[in-house]
Amino acid sequence: MPETSTGSMTLHPGEVTTTARSSWSAMPIVDVAERLERQWSSPHTLGGWLGTVDHKRIGLRYLTTALVFLLIGGLEAVLMRLQLIGPERRLLSPEAYNQMFTMHGLTMIMWYAAPILSGFGNYLVPLFIGSRDMAFPRLNAFSYWMFLLSGVLLYASVAFGQAPDAGWFAYVPLAARRYDPALNMDFYPAAMTALTISTTVGAVNFIVTILKHRAPGMTLARMPLFLYSTGTTAALSLLALPALTAACVFLELDRRWGTHFFDTPAGGDPVLWQHLFWFFGHPWVYIVFLPATGMISMLLPVYARRPIVGHAVVAASTVLTGIVGLGVWVHHMFAVGMGQLAMSFFAAASMTISLFSTIQIFCWVATLWKGHPVRTTSLLFAVAFIATFVVGGLSGVVTAMIPFDWQVHDTYFVVAHLHYVLIGANVFPVFAALYHWWPKMTGRLLDEKLGKLSFWLMFVGFNAGFFPMHLSGLLGMRRRVYTYALSDGLGVLNLITSLGSILLAVGVLVSLANFWRSLRSGAQAPANPWKADTLEWSIPSPPPSYGFLRIPVVQTLHPLWDDFDEYADPRNERLLLHGRQTLSTTALDAEPEAISSGTKDTVVPLLLAIAITGTFGLLLGRSLWFACGAAGLCVLVGAAWLWPEHGEPGPAHEEVTA
Amino acid sequence: MTAAAVGPLSQERERELEASGPRLDELPEDEHRGTLGMALGILTEALLFVCLFFSYFYVGHRHPHWPAHPPEITLALVLLAILLASSGTLHLAERQLKHRAPGAARLWLIVTIALGLAFTAVQVLEYGKHLMTLQPRTDAYGSLFYVITTFHALHVAAGLLMLIFVACLPTLEPPKAPRRPLHNATLYWHFVDVVWIFVVALLYVLPWWEAHHG
Repeated sequence: MPETSTGSMTLHPGEVTTTARSSWSAMPIVDVAERLERQWSSPHTLGGWLGTVDHKRIGLRYLTTALVFLLIGGLEAVLMRLQLIGPERRLLSPEAYNQMFTMHGLTMIMWYAAPILSGFGNYLVPLFIGSRDMAFPRLNAFSYWMFLLSGVLLYASVAFGQAPDAGWFAYVPLAARRYDPALNMDFYPAAMTALTISTTVGAVNFIVTILKHRAPGMTLARMPLFLYSTGTTAALSLLALPALTAACVFLELDRRWGTHFFDTPAGGDPVLWQHLFWFFGHPWVYIVFLPATGMISMLLPVYARRPIVGHAVVAASTVLTGIVGLGVWVHHMFAVGMGQLAMSFFAAASMTISLFSTIQIFCWVATLWKGHPVRTTSLLFAVAFIATFVVGGLSGVVTAMIPFDWQVHDTYFVVAHLHYVLIGANVFPVFAALYHWWPKMTGRLLDEKLGKLSFWLMFVGFNAGFFPMHLSGLLGMRRRVYTYALSDGLGVLNLITSLGSILLAVGVLVSLANFWRSLRSGAQAPANPWKADTLEWSIPSPPPSYGFLRIPVVQTLHPLWDDFDEYADPRNERLLLHGRQTLSTTALDAEPEAISSGTKDTVVPLLLAIAITGTFGLLLGRSLWFACGAAGLCVLVGAAWLWPEHGEPGPAHEEVTA
Repeated sequence: MTAAAVGPLSQERERELEASGPRLDELPEDEHRGTLGMALGILTEALLFVCLFFSYFYVGHRHPHWPAHPPEITLALVLLAILLASSGTLHLAERQLKHRAPGAARLWLIVTIALGLAFTAVQVLEYGKHLMTLQPRTDAYGSLFYVITTFHALHVAAGLLMLIFVACLPTLEPPKAPRRPLHNATLYWHFVDVVWIFVVALLYVLPWWEAHHG
């Protein structure tokens, strides 16, 4: 591994007390770091807490909230497994079980798996690219508040005892009013559409940030891999989520306003729901998985002590996964009855997509093979990801074959497959990333012993829990049914599954205890504890509110492993001291182009999120006039948001004192 | 970076650096972020209409006659003319702003808003006539027809709100965000216009063509 020359480059705020000369003003700058801190930090007041637009704080909020949803979804899973631990048990009623598996799926897929990756993205993307904030800081805050409030809206259904109960895919006619007359499936479109708003604005923010805020010199070819995966994910969100919005609008109109989109006797078509849902739903699988692989591609080389093998190939296969991922949605519908040609096309596309994942897997294995791996907790999770992902990928390739798919459709084989993919390719990478970036985010180290204990509990528990599901599925055990008969002979397999899933939950709790301990009494983390290669490790842990004291300049893929001094700035032109400024660069070559001025802290994004969620809630309660009023409020708040701030560019424009 | 790097420079070094190009911290304020954000927003909205049109044809392909009775086309063409005219006047507004005539720009902007309001009024008229023969609850075709056109009407309303907001701004060229507000709102308005072209072509002209020539 190239020796890092950057350990001494780390700059702590206290170190910059020397008087600098700025050639343009010929005036001494008293204390650069202190001045930046004054401009970028949010006050420790309620207003500062609610109004902050700091991407790091928003990122941490995303991560914390998503972890809370992971715990809620996990609790639902444990309850289901206690119900299924033996045949014909009566812990949950059939109705409660329906709500439980629906809420478990929704919570995990929509409110945990994707948002936690947005959390890492919010925190890390600006730091990876040497920017002081996202392109639209207020939109970023809005995206978080919408995410939180949409989750609140979803769980409000539990308070009414009418949680969604037709599966997270909500197939009609099961989800239609005729078979589901109460409010259960009205909460579904409301909460999903509210979450869609959050994800969409977040995606816009990521794309613009990645295209316009990269440090000078960070051309597309020198971009860390996480940015490829986050960019692809954001593009997928923009292209796929409208289908969900359309489907949700149709569903709600059919349920409460008497329209006939999915109503066969009046000329509608229930399969339309399936097309729209999976046109969104399948890309969503890549949305919850690609950024996780991006994080693996960044942390694995650090522990392997060498650059990743095939950077360009991994980047290209990430983008190609996204593109082909838009064209495989029909493989969720092989059992619905369609033309041979269409089915063959989608089966072939589904098998093609595994090629791109395979390429990435070979690159990761080669990186480990050619490197000198250091066995940290983070690396253990990364390797476990590769192993489980291969298993999940193989069970995916076989289900892409239509005859086999018909055999195992709606059985636990599919449940096993999707958990191998989702836990393998989301939960394990997320824990690898938490163990990797925790010191940067908190300034504290985690306990490696507890970490490894947690890893082994999770890994063993996961495999004990989910591998037997392949077998119970092949034996014909159906999904989404609240129990099974004694005579089915599935008791032992289910007992093992339940015990394994409880072990997995214990493993997660051990990691949470580790986090808690680290926050209370963990050892101080240095700026670059892992001797990693990317820009975020060149600034203190935790980073100051302004992130970078100077905007860095990048010359290679591994800024901290090369000899180039990213922070050499003899003209002091990259300090950017006038308010919340950062540099805008061109999209391809990252040539400096302009200055981006950020905005002050503001509670307007929170107010807009409240107004929008309120509108949705009032529509649910069928108070039309109040809903119109709330929508009008949204417009006014939006106008207040966009109204230009007073004064010169930059908040609190200060004169440099002579 | 060491502390010495922020220390004073020798005069020759300073002159040498002056010669190496403009200072980064004197670059102009960025004005492309908002436009790029708007473009991406338009992209996702466009996909929403793609999904709506897909639904229309997906449900329709199972019916021998879709729709059973083609909608009356005249008012839709009037609406199209109004929207095309409004895109033209908005383009003039933008051109006036480029020629540093913000007063004239604002005038054309107000004309555009008036045309947008006229569009909404004529559409209310169209709905009033149309609802007598077809309702959203009549059948799947009615549901799709009214949802697609109502989605478009909501986008017209959103576009109008943006234009009204821009017209109320103290200056059309604010030094701070939103930079280029007129340009960004214009992009959205043209998009709404293009969607209506598709609505007319697919929901009005195509069934009419099939009824007469099919």
